[in-house]
Amino acid sequence: MVPKNSKIEVRKWVYGRDIGGFIRTSIFYILFYLYLWLVVDLRLIYHGAGEIIDFPVFLRGWPFFSEFISRPGGMVEYTAAFLSQLFYIGWIGALVATLQAWLICVCVDYFLKAVNYPRLCWLRFIPPILLLIVYTQYTYHFVTVMALLVTLLFICLFPGIIKKSSQLDRFRVIFFLVLSVILYYLAGGAYLLFALLFAIYELLLRGRWWIFLLYLLSAIVIPYVVGVMVCGVSVIDAFSDLSPFSWKILYYEASRKMIKGVYLMYLMLPMTLLIVGLWRIFLKVAAKRKSAREGDAKLVTKSYKPWTKIFSWYSRNNGLKWFVESLILYGIAVGAVLLSYDIEKKTLFLVDYYAYDRKWTHVLQTARQHSDSFPVMYAVNRALYHTHKLNLDMFSYPQHSDTLFLTIKESRFDYWKKFDFYIDIGLMNIAQNDLTECFEVFGARPMILKRLALVNMVKGDIDSARIYLGVLSKTLFDADWANKYLELLNADPNLATDDRIQHLRSLMLKTDYGFSAFDIEDILSQLLQENRQNRMAFEYTMAWYMMTRQLDKFVRNLDRLDDFGYIRLPRLYEEAVLVQLYRARKPINLFGRQLTSESKQRFEMFSQTYKRYGTNKKAAVKELAKGFGDTYLFYYIYDFSGMKKWAETQ
Amino acid sequence: MGRNTIIFICIVLVVLSAGILAYTLFDRKVAIEDCISIERPAAIYPDYSDIVLPPNIAPLNFVVREDGSRYCVKIYSKQGENIKIFSRSPKIVVPQKQWRQLLKLNRGEEMYFDVFVQMEKEKWKRFDTITNKIAHEKIDNFLVYRRIHPGYSTWSKMGVYQRNLQNYDESLILDNGYYGNGCLNCHTFCQNQPGKMLLGIRSSIYGSSELLVEDDKAEKIGTKFGYTSWHPSGRLATYSINKIHLFFHSAKNEVRGVTDLDSLLAYYILDSKTVKTSSKFSNKQRLETYPTWSPDGRYLYFCSAPVLWSDRDTLPQENYDQVRYDLVRVSYDIDRDEWGELETVLSAEDTNLTILLPRVSPDGRWLLFCMCDYGSFPVYHDTSDLYLLDLTAFEKTGRAGPQRLHINSNKSESWHSWSSNSRWMAFSSKRQNGVFTRTYFSYLDNEGRAYKPFLLPQKDPTYYDSCLWTYSVPELVAEPVQVTGETLGRIIRGSEKISVHLPITMATPKPDAVPGSRQKWYERE
Repeated sequence: MVPKNSKIEVRKWVYGRDIGGFIRTSIFYILFYLYLWLVVDLRLIYHGAGEIIDFPVFLRGWPFFSEFISRPGGMVEYTAAFLSQLFYIGWIGALVATLQAWLICVCVDYFLKAVNYPRLCWLRFIPPILLLIVYTQYTYHFVTVMALLVTLLFICLFPGIIKKSSQLDRFRVIFFLVLSVILYYLAGGAYLLFALLFAIYELLLRGRWWIFLLYLLSAIVIPYVVGVMVCGVSVIDAFSDLSPFSWKILYYEASRKMIKGVYLMYLMLPMTLLIVGLWRIFLKVAAKRKSAREGDAKLVTKSYKPWTKIFSWYSRNNGLKWFVESLILYGIAVGAVLLSYDIEKKTLFLVDYYAYDRKWTHVLQTARQHSDSFPVMYAVNRALYHTHKLNLDMFSYPQHSDTLFLTIKESRFDYWKKFDFYIDIGLMNIAQNDLTECFEVFGARPMILKRLALVNMVKGDIDSARIYLGVLSKTLFDADWANKYLELLNADPNLATDDRIQHLRSLMLKTDYGFSAFDIEDILSQLLQENRQNRMAFEYTMAWYMMTRQLDKFVRNLDRLDDFGYIRLPRLYEEAVLVQLYRARKPINLFGRQLTSESKQRFEMFSQTYKRYGTNKKAAVKELAKGFGDTYLFYYIYDFSGMKKWAETQ
Repeated sequence: MGRNTIIFICIVLVVLSAGILAYTLFDRKVAIEDCISIERPAAIYPDYSDIVLPPNIAPLNFVVREDGSRYCVKIYSKQGENIKIFSRSPKIVVPQKQWRQLLKLNRGEEMYFDVFVQMEKEKWKRFDTITNKIAHEKIDNFLVYRRIHPGYSTWSKMGVYQRNLQNYDESLILDNGYYGNGCLNCHTFCQNQPGKMLLGIRSSIYGSSELLVEDDKAEKIGTKFGYTSWHPSGRLATYSINKIHLFFHSAKNEVRGVTDLDSLLAYYILDSKTVKTSSKFSNKQRLETYPTWSPDGRYLYFCSAPVLWSDRDTLPQENYDQVRYDLVRVSYDIDRDEWGELETVLSAEDTNLTILLPRVSPDGRWLLFCMCDYGSFPVYHDTSDLYLLDLTAFEKTGRAGPQRLHINSNKSESWHSWSSNSRWMAFSSKRQNGVFTRTYFSYLDNEGRAYKPFLLPQKDPTYYDSCLWTYSVPELVAEPVQVTGETLGRIIRGSEKISVHLPITMATPKPDAVPGSRQKWYERE
């Protein structure tokens, strides 16, 4: 007898396990995790950028929890809501998402082995690859995927119980029903996958049609009885909640994005069983019809010999097999990621994330990579203002008059992207309007509650602010901010010591009138009337006049430079003045300031270069862009800007 | 040491620990002797002091807003056992059974709250006794309201709920999840009974419609009613059709403004399933809205204002802040379906205010309404206050002398309703803050004197500290609505409906119109 723990025993144990598969899977998930953490950055999904509308709210305390326990799917939804909050911390969020993907993988693997199809275990990598695509596209389906995971766990649990003994197998229907009720309560409409899967299994693989019918019936009865009759939810919700077929997902375009990937995850196992089951039936039927003749069998064997030889050699060569299979797996994963990677979307999310946190240099750095979209340019202009570069560098970026207030038609309802701008410039009521719309669309997300509290504090509605702060104090990561303000409000309801609030109060409009839509020029003028020291209103006014070529109004406002202590004209203002001088041929009052010789020289050179091309504006663009692509002069002629960088690459 | 001995010791330790834990955590009753008298009442929230409360209301749980580490509240009245509550937290939760018993035994009597607070290692402080009164008359057992977020033109979740006022049970009547996230509002009952209910629905998938519930049956009428009032006979319901426009304020605390570009009244006759109107309340030169019937069914009261603008394309319209509604009424013979002459009950010119939301008490004695500086939507005006008109005096003298109720605050009061015994008023108020509307109740005695209002009680007295819901249009009903949300949802989703045609063209939305996805439906609260 070989003693225990001998080398031979250990060797026997090692070769009994698929070490290669373990290593491959580990590498896969390590890369999966690193990708989500460092490349995708799930903090961006947590933030949402006004694009993800179904990211869940989570509040501590019994009242929030109690809303979930009384309906089917509530427990999974609550758990998923909590786990989703961990996306706030990048590396933890990535870990949670990786664990979820891995568990789905394990469950699929277990189930396929349990139904005696271990050769199909490679299918277990499909869900994580689909999840990579979902996250790469910056979409959110964590809740419904969590419901899938719980369902898969139950799918594994059921055969696990039945296989323990043949006696237990007799009670399979009872076990099935008990698990069904529990699963339905936990995961809502996702339970239907459980019933469907085992119904297909019983019909096609076990041939037990009466159990098939019973399982199908349970898929109708259990949701109706538990969901509609006991819990009182609507019949539509009873059958679809938490599943990707729910109207709550399908109704909104934003939440429908990448839903096909989730459908694939849900339907993968049932489709597999269906195909496998039908194939088995087909083989059985085919085998019955074939006459078993020895010669034919020999011939058949002889004609396939070369392939079987190769295949047999390949199967025996573990190293090569491991290499090829790993290559295929990683190749598909990388390919999926590369095909779904969207730099524009990522830039949008990053820019919005940094803008919300007022990390303006990061906004500018990120926008440099990809700055074509209006929302990005809108954020860039805000960043330029806050870094005191709006009147120096704005034409180093692509500009359009719609980027100042984000007034393009497509962004008409982009309230998320606009509320901070309105707060900063002093348009509190418009900010509150946008925040309230966001509240309805995105829910009581901490970033919205924070701003609603701020706006109400600025407006002096302290009692309303307290309520928003009260809710915010129950969130996981913003409670401190809320509690700090709640304490401050108790000590000083007027918030006299809060510089930001006092500053915003000094900016906000105090004259009331009714309006449906506002005129940009009008509202900027009102802001300056309210407070001449509103620097943002001033710089945006000047930017507006420059972009809309209203240089006569531009020069009329030059006297305001004194309100902000400008000793000399910023570069872009000089250029605008030079253009106006050239156009109007009239002297312009610079209120004691002089135009710099550099600006004059630049204007001269621009004019000379432009004149060399005669009337051919198009021909001049390359040369002008190279030397003057970041000037107002270029924008004035060509109506676009940010060309210097492009020109340098030509 | 044997295994059994170890197990025994473990069990003993567990039991001891549990006992110690229970002892430390659960509040023990202590004798309060030798306390310091504080000569003022304790600050409590919600403010349940000096109020008149119904004998069938749920316990008025509250928070003691005094610094302390232990709290004691003694609740007592003339008869019955005192209720003593000890708590380590300032949250005072009154046991429901004892509360109900105390109220039952002491109708018409005063009820006292003695509040004691103790700081660690100090003496107990006793505050001045809070005195309330228990009314003889009960309030209707249920309150139906719409719970929404204070949004503007977008909405996600909203629903109409009913709350059992004798306890804290809230149940859903219908929410917009049953029909894919539309809007619902204007729940109206006939004479405080749930047996006849109307509820307006707007859905981009299933169209606009009105749900008519009669006992446990429900039907869908193929047009949406605005502000609605049942004729006391239950045979017809009058409703407004409003072309509402939402605008914004640049600097007011209330961000929203609402005007009616156009409006008129119509009435739906149940037997014939037809809609009619009358020239008395569909004048193109006037804006008619907020219909309400007198309890004898002889008069329809409503609000009427002249159209002050010629240009209907400029929004908001010129002079929108000059619009002031008169309170008028017209007589009606239901058997002949004949309308009498219009009569001005109260003129905006006399009051210099706009008169809105008239509601007649079920006993026909009082007319409760609100007035504010201008406009048609009082919930958006801080100046909106509740007024009472003695209809008996009005009938005698022909002159209305409305009295402004002293229960008003410096914020909006509106959306008032009566209990079936005409003794209780429920109304919406923004007195707590400028954004969230809450429901208050006030007792009205025979002389028309209104008593200090109190907030709808909640099981958790800190509920309102972080409640982001607005409680809109509180309606008192005697019994619960029985029809289920699923039944109503099925009817909304179904294709069967009663087709109606309004015999007038104006700013009337077509029956069954499915608004485009970008069209905004206004009138949020």
